[in-house]
Amino acid sequence: MKKILHIAWREFLATVLTKAFLIGVLVLPVIIGVMVIVLPILINEEAPKIDGEVALVDPSGAVTATVAEYLSPEGFVERRREIEESIDEVMPDAVKEMTAANPAASKMMEQQLDQALGDVPTIQVTELSTGADLEAEKQALLTGDIQSGGRLAVVVLHDNAVRVIDGQEGYGTYDLYIREKLDDRITDAIRDALRGAIVEARISGEGLDPVSIQAMTQVARVRPKEVSAKGEREANELINMLLPMGFMALLLVSVMTAGQQLMTTTIEEKSSRVVEVLLSAVSPIQLMTGKILGQLGVGFLMLSLYSALGIATLVSFALMGLVDPWLFFYLMIFFLIAYLVVASLMAAIGAAVNDIREAQSLLTPVMLIIMVPWLLWMPITRDPNSLFATITSLLPPINSFVMMLRLTSTTPPPGWQVWLSIAIGALSVYAAIWLSAKVFRVGLLMYGKPPNLKTLVRWVRMA
Amino acid sequence: MTTTRTDQDAAISLRGLTKTFGSKAAVRDLDLVVPQGSLYGFIGPNGAGKTTTIRMIMSILFPDAGELAVLGHKSALEAKDRIGYLPEERGVYKKMKVGAFLRLMAVLKDADGPGMKERVQRWLERVGLGDVAHKKCEELSKGMQQKIQFIAAVIHEPDLLILDEPFSGLDPVNMRLLKDLILEQHQRGATVLFSTHVMYQAEQLCDHIIMIHDGLKVLDDPLSAIRANYDPRAVLFEPQDPAVDVAGTLGALPQVEGVIASDGHYRVQLAEDSDAATAVQAIAARLAPSRVELYRPTLEDVFIQIVTEANALADQETKDLREALT
Repeated sequence: MKKILHIAWREFLATVLTKAFLIGVLVLPVIIGVMVIVLPILINEEAPKIDGEVALVDPSGAVTATVAEYLSPEGFVERRREIEESIDEVMPDAVKEMTAANPAASKMMEQQLDQALGDVPTIQVTELSTGADLEAEKQALLTGDIQSGGRLAVVVLHDNAVRVIDGQEGYGTYDLYIREKLDDRITDAIRDALRGAIVEARISGEGLDPVSIQAMTQVARVRPKEVSAKGEREANELINMLLPMGFMALLLVSVMTAGQQLMTTTIEEKSSRVVEVLLSAVSPIQLMTGKILGQLGVGFLMLSLYSALGIATLVSFALMGLVDPWLFFYLMIFFLIAYLVVASLMAAIGAAVNDIREAQSLLTPVMLIIMVPWLLWMPITRDPNSLFATITSLLPPINSFVMMLRLTSTTPPPGWQVWLSIAIGALSVYAAIWLSAKVFRVGLLMYGKPPNLKTLVRWVRMA
Repeated sequence: MTTTRTDQDAAISLRGLTKTFGSKAAVRDLDLVVPQGSLYGFIGPNGAGKTTTIRMIMSILFPDAGELAVLGHKSALEAKDRIGYLPEERGVYKKMKVGAFLRLMAVLKDADGPGMKERVQRWLERVGLGDVAHKKCEELSKGMQQKIQFIAAVIHEPDLLILDEPFSGLDPVNMRLLKDLILEQHQRGATVLFSTHVMYQAEQLCDHIIMIHDGLKVLDDPLSAIRANYDPRAVLFEPQDPAVDVAGTLGALPQVEGVIASDGHYRVQLAEDSDAATAVQAIAARLAPSRVELYRPTLEDVFIQIVTEANALADQETKDLREALT
């Protein structure tokens, strides 16, 4: 046992202390974290405060006032409040409760939102006479400063923009001339202001009330409420889809990384001929056990790291209430099962071949099997208790992945199915290790022609 | 030719050991006893079954039939910590530091303890690599790596040392160093079994020889006994005057059966009933020699004689076999 642990420790260190692993596993979350936290700050700094002028040629005379109102600082603040409200609407109850109970937190969120949207711009709207020299007005776009009253845009409404002119078909539009490299959010605001103002002017022109028309054409978007035996609750479709995928991706990534590493180190030991030196001190089974345990440590390290990151994210968005802590317990159990099956197969493949290229042909079937859950993700999260989902969640070697999908879905499977899947998983682990140990033992000292499936079967019989 | 002994205290004892790979018999019905404290050479051409036998002794491969005992155990697995093994297919962890690798090997042999670091350093200095402990194994030359592997095999002071082709790839200086180190281990009391396909190496080192050919044991005797048994009854002769008719002159002597010229000297085959000492005197009296001596059989000769007798080989086959042994 002591020898097995020494092998495991060496395997763990040899994997974890490589540059590739550190970069791939540890640096990646750091980069994501940096992108999430630092990047918005950097972007905000790049968006300067705007203080400028929009000049408008308005033959109808019915648009300018509305545009000026829309582009006024009060207008911007009002729209931001509306965005906040709509975010509030899609936010799960857990967050609302938290922010309601904690004014400081809600204040902080608003501040963060303000920060994300940037400072409220100050925009002066000037009406130009219809006979104004357009070229001269456009020259103002080349001079001045957008932070101190410089001209941002020149808008020229067509004659028929608001009123259909006899003999012409349909409404006209407007021309928009903007300063070079104007922030696209300002351009959008100007366009939105004009669209709203023109529509309003058209409606009033027909003798209708724009306010009631707007009220008539809007229906609030509702969130569906799920009716289940436990009562009604609001469905959160996005989280319902993402949570199972998150858990399964976590499972798959850690199992595959550790499994691949196991294969690589086995091939290395074989091709560097160190393996027979090791076999002078330990038996092949001890060697395989030690290596599998070592990479198990690697897998657990990754799993805990990413889990912790995921939990931290959930906590920071106060979504932790959506995740049953038992899920992490099941995650560990199904990780263990999936890992042991995949790892023992990987060890056998590593032992059977001479170099990584030869491994590809044997690796393909394993990879295909492991990719199956990805294809099943949508149908299973949509209908987690279908006959198909039930069968695949009991079918090794994909049962761990599928069961994890079902467990994290909105309607978890009955407990007996989970434990049956675990029991079947344990049996599949036993079978995989039994089979792989034989291939491992024979394969380790076989050099030369890479084996095909027939040879592998012969090895199993031979050992 | 084959001696069957039973020895309860033997370091290694094999009985009827057989191993086949597919249709090819690698080792056939091998009996072998290696007494404790002995230095045995295990020789035979490539593909004779040496490595297979050694792997079975080490319980890396398992025999199809037969029994074996190693250091009193039914399997080497139970005595691994007392065995040092230098496999023919050997390597190191390339990315590992030399010192760490040797300590890992010691730990895996259950020999870690206080002072192991110092012992590793002493060994490194002993083989002239005192400054490599902190280098990665891949930075070392192949010959250096081989010395590291030898240290890995003996770092835990094993009772039984099995070396599979330990000299392959070494230059003459390191070959001599390794020879000394093996003898040192032998003197320490370890039983040493080493295999080689280069027969003169075994001749220089061993007190007992096991020969194997095509999976069959063909010889198992002390070196001295082999020399006595396989006396070719021949004299090596070089005349002072190279122009003289050696074959004609010496062939007329009653003690001489025939004369064969080879590579500038002559091999004078003696008659069955003649006395070797008087024959040498008679030959020297007949022709002035620049060199005359009794021909000492080499293991190579013995081996070829055995194989030729058993298989009635053609001349070309004999020649190929001889080349395989050098």
